This record gives sequence, C-alpha cells and structure tokens, in this order.
Amino acid sequence: MRRIAEWLAAGWLTLVLSLLPGWAGAQSMTHCRTTPELLDLGNPLAIARQSIAEQKKLRIMALGSSTTAGYGVSNPAYAYPAQLRIGLEKALPGIEIDVLNRGIGGQDVEEMAARMREEMQGNLPSLVVWQTGTNAAIRHMPLEKFERWLRGGLKLGKSLGADFVLMNLQYVPAVVAVADKEAYEKIMAAAAKEFDAGLFRRYDIMRGWYEDGMPYAQFVQLDGLHLNDFGQKCIGQLLTRAILKSLNGP
Amino acid sequence: MAVSPSVAAGRDIRLDLFRGLALWFIFVDHIPSNVASWLTVRNYGFSDATEIFVFISGYTAVIAYARMMQRDGWIRTTARIHRRVWQLYVAHILLFVAFTAQIVWVSEARDMPALIDEMELMGLGENPYQAILQAALLKFRPVNLDVLPLYIVLLAFFPFALPAIVRWPFAVIAVSLLLYAATCRYNWNLAGYPDHKVWYFNPMAWQVVFYVGACCAVLGAQIARLDRFRAPLCVLAALYLLFAAFIALSWQFNALGRLVPNWIGRIIYPIDKTNIDILRFLHFLAIAWLVRVSVPADSPWLNRRVLDPLRRCGEHSLLIFCIGTFLALTGQVIVDQYEGAFLSQVLVSIAGIAIMCAAAYLAAWFKGGGTRRPPLATQVAS
Repeated sequence: MRRIAEWLAAGWLTLVLSLLPGWAGAQSMTHCRTTPELLDLGNPLAIARQSIAEQKKLRIMALGSSTTAGYGVSNPAYAYPAQLRIGLEKALPGIEIDVLNRGIGGQDVEEMAARMREEMQGNLPSLVVWQTGTNAAIRHMPLEKFERWLRGGLKLGKSLGADFVLMNLQYVPAVVAVADKEAYEKIMAAAAKEFDAGLFRRYDIMRGWYEDGMPYAQFVQLDGLHLNDFGQKCIGQLLTRAILKSLNGP
Repeated sequence: MAVSPSVAAGRDIRLDLFRGLALWFIFVDHIPSNVASWLTVRNYGFSDATEIFVFISGYTAVIAYARMMQRDGWIRTTARIHRRVWQLYVAHILLFVAFTAQIVWVSEARDMPALIDEMELMGLGENPYQAILQAALLKFRPVNLDVLPLYIVLLAFFPFALPAIVRWPFAVIAVSLLLYAATCRYNWNLAGYPDHKVWYFNPMAWQVVFYVGACCAVLGAQIARLDRFRAPLCVLAALYLLFAAFIALSWQFNALGRLVPNWIGRIIYPIDKTNIDILRFLHFLAIAWLVRVSVPADSPWLNRRVLDPLRRCGEHSLLIFCIGTFLALTGQVIVDQYEGAFLSQVLVSIAGIAIMCAAAYLAAWFKGGGTRRPPLATQVAS
C-alpha cells in the first residue's frame, strides 16, 4: 500500500514538474486584449463630454453587484471601478475624475433599479456604468421581469440627467451553463438602443478571451462566477479605453 | 462535569502534520498565479487549505479543552479559551500593522506611488482613523487578512458549545448544519467595512467545518463503525474526488471544459467560498475520509525525520500562519518585480517555506527554554 502511494506521489510530482514550464509559458502569453469593434459603446456620451468641457470634471457612478463591489479580488484597487479611475486620470490630465463605487454583492436589476434614485440624487454623476444581468441569469429571473425592471431603471436614470453605459453579463462557467443567457444579453442590447445608452459588451469580450485559448482560471475565481484580479483589471482597462473612445469620437 | 471517555487522545501527529501542510499551501496559494500552486490541493478540486485548517482547528480545540474542562471546570476552561482568543486577536492586529507597514515601505523604497494609491483604495488613505477603528473591530480586513478573524469568532463561541460537544455530539452537528443551511438560505453574514462589504469567510457558514471537526474528536468509536462500509465509502469518495478534479482542471484546460455538459454546470455553479458551498465541504470530507483510511495514526513513516519541518510548522500554527501571510505579500512584490517569471515564483515559494520552517524551529527552541534539543511533543492547544 505504502509503496504504491509513494510511487503515485513520485509520478504525480514528476508530471507536475515536467508540465510546469510549458504551462507557465502559456500563462505569460495571455494578456489583456480584445478587438476594436467590441470597444464601441455605440453612444457619444454627450453629458459626460459637456461636464469635461465646461467643468473640467467627470463624475462616474459604477452601479452593480459583486463585480463592481470587487468581491474576492486580492486588492480593491484591482476592481474595475478603481481601474477606471486610475486609467481616466492618466488619460485626461487636468480633469477631476471621480468614480463612485455603488456595487452591492448579490443584487440584480430589481434591487439596483429600486435604489437608483437614492444613489444618483445628492451626487449626480454625468455617467452611470450599470453592471447587471449576471445574477438575474444564474437565478433564472423571468425574462419579461428582467426587461421591465431594466427599462424602468434606465428610464428613471436617464430622466435624472446622466449618460448610461450598460455592462452586460460576464462569460464565466456559471453563466455559460445557463440555457438562455443570450436572451438577457439581447434584452440589454435592445434596451440600450431604445434608451440611448451605451453598451459595454463584456460577454463578447470575455468569450473572445476564452475562444482564443485563455483558460477560465486566468480570469475567473475558482467559484466559477466572479472575476479574479486579472479579469477585473483587464475589464477595467478595456472599459477605460471604450469610454475614452466614445468621448474622443465624432 | 463528566466528560465522555471517548475524547480522542492528544498524540495524533497527523494533526500537526496536516496543519503544517495546510499552512504551506495557504502561503503558496496566496501568491497570485504562482506555479507552485500546482503542488497544492487547490487546482485539483473544490476545497482548498482553508477547510483543512479550520477542520483541524475544531478537532484540536476539543482535544485541548475537553480534558481541561473535566479537570478544572467550565469557567476556568472558558477563561483559558478566551485567553487564546486574545492571543489570536493580538496576532491579527500585529499582522495588520506589519502588513500595512510593508506596503508603505515597499512603495516608498521603490518609489511606487501606485502602491500607496492602491492602499488608499483599500480604505486606509481616505479615512485612516476610521479604518484603524474598523480593523480593531475586525470589520476591516484588507487583502488576505480574512482567516484569523474567522478563527477568532469561531473560538470565541466555542466554550458555549464545548459541554454539548462532549455529551451530545450528534445534536451539535445537527444544530451546526441547521445554522449553515439557514445562513445559505437567507444570506446572513456579518457586516464589514467599508459599507456593504461582508466577511469573505462567513463565520456562520464556516462554523460547520469547525464543529464537524470538533465532533469528530469525540466520535472516534462511531466513525470506526463506518469501517464496515470502508470499501464502498472509499469508492464513493474517490469517484467524487475524480469528478471534482475533472471540473477543476477544466478551468485550466479549455479542451476539458468543452467536455463538461451544461446541465452539470447549471447544478454545480457557483461554487461559493464565502458560504462554503456544499460541494466544497463534501470535497473536504471525501479527502478527510481517504486520508483517515490511507494514513493511520500509527503509520511508522509519520515519524520520519523528513517530516519534522511540517510538524514544527503545524505545532506553531499561529506564528507560522502570520509569517506566511506576511511573506505572501513580500513574495507577490518580488514576483511582480520579475514580471511573474517562472523561476522567481519557484524560488520565492521555496524561500518562503524555508523561512516559515526556520521560524517554527526557533519557536520550538524558545518553547523548550532555549535548550539544545527540544522534545517533539504534540502541542495540540496551539
């Protein structure tokens, strides 16, 4: 018995050690990337532009669930709202950048739409990044209900006088397993169009990573749901690029 | 106060060995994307070293304090346990200060204001006084400082469960499972800082690992009865571990991921860590069962000299845990400096474990009164 166990242990160790260099090489090749089309928000962000031009400041509110709150990252600075602030400060010198993090783990469109007025009044942002859809999809919220709350929230938020960017689902094992995840995505795309909001296509961006051969472990925590340090930083950097592209566009 | 005679004897060296191993794993796994993680349990299944650490902590708490309760009474024992809780608390606060100081020192020494910037975002820079208060209340636990607060809360409530554990262990397991189920169902958690943050390791869920571990220490005879089903249980456990390994490896290798059908994904995800998903707990129990069967407490090789460093680390778990957490941050900074180079990860992991072992030997030497050769006694209380 012991002999066998020792041989097994030795064999496993040899296997791991021989595989490691190749694996490490593959890891270092994976870097944060996407195609330019996927960074097109499809919205000029007029209110944000005006705020930058007239007041030299840009206040952004990140409204969302655990991704926004930065669940499980080894440093809150890696969460995408913090990355957005760091990136915009670098890209827009002389402009006062303020990113308010309004992420509460476990929430979805219903709770977020309900607290939207309270969050936005008082310190009205020029741009709201609304990260939603993932919790709704993994909990199988009825599509019709999802659509109703999403549109209600967008209508209210726009009426308070801010630009909106919807950030859709994350491409992770827990979401990929859901049968009608793309239906949630479509509802978000349609609502963005109808209410003149931008759409940050996180789902397609992350699917691109996976299909390019990046393993889930590179960008997802081991619970199969939340973005890890790399995933958060990369989404934050890509969102920064997408927003800058919109602000500098025609 | 009569204590059931079935409290496990304190000389089970497997406890120190595996706790030492868990501490090594926690250190290695806390360095982000460390290749050495491939030598830990994490990449081969759902559970990781945290479960090992919490389970053994529950088990050893009963061994250490059940007899004391029999001898000295409940009040003295409670006082002793709370003295231990105080030690844990002091260690946590010290670790918090050392950890923060290390970030400041690194960012100043290497002229990297980005690091300070990051710390500001942790909640320290904006309102340091508030952050210090919240850290003292265990509500503010930046980065990897989550495990000790969990242990502190678990041990602080332990005296009130101890009399029940030695008399009605099955009832304690039932209550513990109920609390666990209710916590998951109603999403209970303790408040954290800044607002809306919660405990990454939810004590009301993780208590189930601690108390199942604690009750196992008095249920030796009942567990031995399971040996009648040894073969089928081993097969079940092994099959489950294989399944978990397949899923876990599918996160690393996309070719495997495409083989996992969606209906399985719908059932298993997300595999929550905050409320210790049942899949994680079962995974740990399967490992524990197989270890119990394949590594009997009297295996002669457990006493081999090569394993002494592991035992030493397990014996001084609090000290080694703190050093490991501190060194994991150091390691992260060093690995980052070499842009995550393969060799830097390997060397940092080896060096860190070597430092942890050296500290454990030093602690043993101090404990032995600074004599030349301290006896290797199983110190279950630590």
